[in-house]
Amino acid sequence: MTYYESKPHKKFFEKTLEDYRDSIWGCARCNWCQNHWGWNVKSAEYSEICPAFHEFRIFPYSGMGKMHIARALLEGDFDYEDAPEILKFLYTCTTCGACEMNCQRLQDKEPLQVNETLRAQLIKDGIGPMPEHKVLIKSVKNYDNPWMQPRTQRDRWARKINIKNIEKEPAETLFFVGCTVAFDNTQWHVAQNTATIMTQAGVDLGMLGKKEICCGSPIARIGDRDTFFDLAKRNIDLLNATGVKEIVTFCPGCFKALSHDYCEVPDVPKLNATVYHTSQYFDRLIKEGKLTFPNDVSKRVTWHDPCHMGRHCGIYDEPRRVLEAISGIDLVEMERIKDQSWCCGGGGGVRTAFMDFAQKTAIKRIGEAKKSGAEAIVTSCPFCEQNIGDALNSMNDEMEILDLTDVMVKAMDKRET
Amino acid sequence: MSDSKQKVIQKKLPREVYRALKNVVGEKWIHESRSVVETYSKLSIEGASFVKKHEKDPHVLPACVVLPATTDDVQAIVKICNRYSVPFVPFTNGQVFCNPTTQDPTLIIHFSRMNRIIKVDTQNMSATLEPYVDYAQLQAEAMKRGLWNGGTPLATTVCKMASQFAFAGLWQTDLKYGLLNRNIISVKMVLPDGEILSTGSRCIPKAGDFWEYGPGPDLMGLQRSGLGTNGIVTEITVKLHAWVGDEALPEIPGGRPSLKHVHDAKYDSPPEPLKNHKLLWIEFEDLDTQLKAMREIAHSGVAIGLNATGVYSAFYCSQTQEMTVQRCKEHFFPDWNCYVILANTTSDQQIPYEEKVVRQIIDEVGGTFLSEDYKPEVLEALQPWNYDCIRHVHGYRMNRKFYANAWLPVGPLEEAKTVSREWKKALDMFGEIDITDRGGADDTPFVYALQRGHFCLFETDNYPDPVLPDEIKKAQGYGLYGAAVVTKYDLGPQLMAFVNVEPFTTMFPEAGPNAHLFMRKLRKVFDPNSVAAPGRQVFTEEEWQQFPQEVKSAVNKMRELNGMEPVT
Repeated sequence: MTYYESKPHKKFFEKTLEDYRDSIWGCARCNWCQNHWGWNVKSAEYSEICPAFHEFRIFPYSGMGKMHIARALLEGDFDYEDAPEILKFLYTCTTCGACEMNCQRLQDKEPLQVNETLRAQLIKDGIGPMPEHKVLIKSVKNYDNPWMQPRTQRDRWARKINIKNIEKEPAETLFFVGCTVAFDNTQWHVAQNTATIMTQAGVDLGMLGKKEICCGSPIARIGDRDTFFDLAKRNIDLLNATGVKEIVTFCPGCFKALSHDYCEVPDVPKLNATVYHTSQYFDRLIKEGKLTFPNDVSKRVTWHDPCHMGRHCGIYDEPRRVLEAISGIDLVEMERIKDQSWCCGGGGGVRTAFMDFAQKTAIKRIGEAKKSGAEAIVTSCPFCEQNIGDALNSMNDEMEILDLTDVMVKAMDKRET
Repeated sequence: MSDSKQKVIQKKLPREVYRALKNVVGEKWIHESRSVVETYSKLSIEGASFVKKHEKDPHVLPACVVLPATTDDVQAIVKICNRYSVPFVPFTNGQVFCNPTTQDPTLIIHFSRMNRIIKVDTQNMSATLEPYVDYAQLQAEAMKRGLWNGGTPLATTVCKMASQFAFAGLWQTDLKYGLLNRNIISVKMVLPDGEILSTGSRCIPKAGDFWEYGPGPDLMGLQRSGLGTNGIVTEITVKLHAWVGDEALPEIPGGRPSLKHVHDAKYDSPPEPLKNHKLLWIEFEDLDTQLKAMREIAHSGVAIGLNATGVYSAFYCSQTQEMTVQRCKEHFFPDWNCYVILANTTSDQQIPYEEKVVRQIIDEVGGTFLSEDYKPEVLEALQPWNYDCIRHVHGYRMNRKFYANAWLPVGPLEEAKTVSREWKKALDMFGEIDITDRGGADDTPFVYALQRGHFCLFETDNYPDPVLPDEIKKAQGYGLYGAAVVTKYDLGPQLMAFVNVEPFTTMFPEAGPNAHLFMRKLRKVFDPNSVAAPGRQVFTEEEWQQFPQEVKSAVNKMRELNGMEPVT
């Protein structure tokens, strides 16, 4: 038990700033929330870890700064009306969790949890979120997705794909597609690839089709707890009703919500199924010999760890093993990887409200990828792919952004696919 | 305590000053909003700013934060401060000595934009840095080139070389390479009145940046340990040394944690010893034997590092707070111990030879090497130091509460006995704040053998709860008492405090004697308008007269407890 774990346990989404009083007073100002973990630093250029501090250079953008702001608000040293700018400080955080990782490892404190709790407090008090987020929340409430798309369009990606609709016929494994892939036709190929690969590997796969609803991840990160609780409950009821034992999802946001966040919501039933990220599932299928890659894919690639898949949920090795199983793939690593990975800049509502900053952060990641010698960045997250992809387009750069399934499909025999 | 709902309102700079500063750095790099200045007020390990926060003292809040990008920017900012008599405080991370204590609206000059390694000179083995460059960054760049800055103090990414110029600076391999102060070739500074000073050979244009001494007296020596009161370092050139390890530190065998499982024991996986380095741990029967052995090893000329780790082993090498406390209670780690870092800096045979020397010394002096045959479980538990002694990363984690007071005297090795004895006396007199305060009394104090054992640093600390102001005040009492003890027993200046920090500079005139009067004269010369971190290093007569009587009384009480006359 650590010092702070000795405090009474509450579920995360029940916590208020008061629950973090010890932690926020005790911020040691060590600044590790802004910096790459000491013994992994390989260069000065890539030695920082917080995208917001890296860009804006003042402490309120860092994890430490938010601890100080939280302390002052908690103790009544200032109020929102004295500091309207805190909205920007809180919402330029991509919730990548790098600050929390290093602070937990060194000082046993929780700057990201404090930031998310601050966001929730701001919303409760009618101050937050950013106007752009309000649109997103409204869309989820009205359409069950953040992108203001009609529910009827949710399964368009699957029109030419052979996948069961679990409402009509049972399946052992449910593919939770996620809103971004389902509604963004530039990302349909990821869902199509996923369904194809898994079906080819013999997985009895089904989907919810038009009945799927937003997992609530962006809402949770923005801090609208009431809306998130509602979505969590609806999703748990919906998913438990299917009777599936396994859920697989490609979106790290959905994955974290289903596997890590719902259990932190008060007064909701337990989600019965085990939740897998697709890369975990692919890794298992490869180990079981159900997935093979006969084609050579000659390409030097680097793996970009999506924050909510890697740092938040610990999926670092599985996608790397999948890539290494493909003949011709030369996997080279960037300097900041795994728990110390540099965020793409798109998470936590940043891409919605601060597109310029999101793009600048992605451009920095692309620079790091280029330095590794890679021809392509491979990842497995709709937001990372959108954000890095947009940045590559704006740079008119030859480097590719690929989804893990893109590489896999190329490596699979055409007859099989 | 003040009314808990009472707001704390910052003062603002006069508008013409704000506009003038904005013209220098641009609108993006000047901030005076309430939430921004909040984050530049409560400092890391300085109890006073915590107490002031609890008491809702508005004077810890700066008025404005400005971020220069170049030496020219800094010069322009400082000139504006002089023109309008605005006090300014140079600021990197806010660890200790940055707190604006002035009652007037104060400007923070934050250097986070000045973060470039300007040059690594492999031929002359040096690096030139801007003030926000930290040890981890420099070390990483140097190691790639087979060079090394000689170690990392305190915390890899907290400490900046330029900040450490403001005081002595130490690291765990000081035995061979010496304190940072011995490793600075030159600095470029903006003096408190806005003049620019370059020290060392670089003061002669195109002569090169290779030698500490410029024409005339040692100007850098005059500026070192000035706590920002004698000017602002905008460039610093430091010496590098040969590095015989790998280009980068290896991955930890336990892999990388995720947030969900960050506290899983498997991620507290100790690293193997570094290539071409070896760490020996020795246990002693008592402090006398330990100090004698450390002296002999230091004077023998072998090894690059030599330290007694005291209670820090419990902090660094325990996975949890609970385990830390348990290990302190059980004296799991030897009360009297030290580690020796050996390195093959000249030959593959160096480690075997030096190990032979160390073993012979221990044979003669007494002591037992921790090994597979003797306390293997303790040796295994100490493995986090394998890296920590080279690139300081705090072992597994820092299992302690707030860190609010330290005694950090330097002196001959024997004085560790005095520190240990007096610390125990203080604990008996005032009572411990946390069990871990006992490190240094029942356990050996943290002892660094510095610069081939010419002198040593001793460290004992208090760990109060930051939420409880009474505990912090108690720790501050320890600090005041410690200053008196250091003076009474002629322990030598404290590395990070005492004669460099008011009110001690003025309230312990035994140091010097009258060092503070000379420093006042220096301040008048360098800082004619009293704008550079005023009151930090030395009071003017006027500031001294305005200094709170209750603090004077508290220090005088501690002086009295140590048999010294009060200072008026």
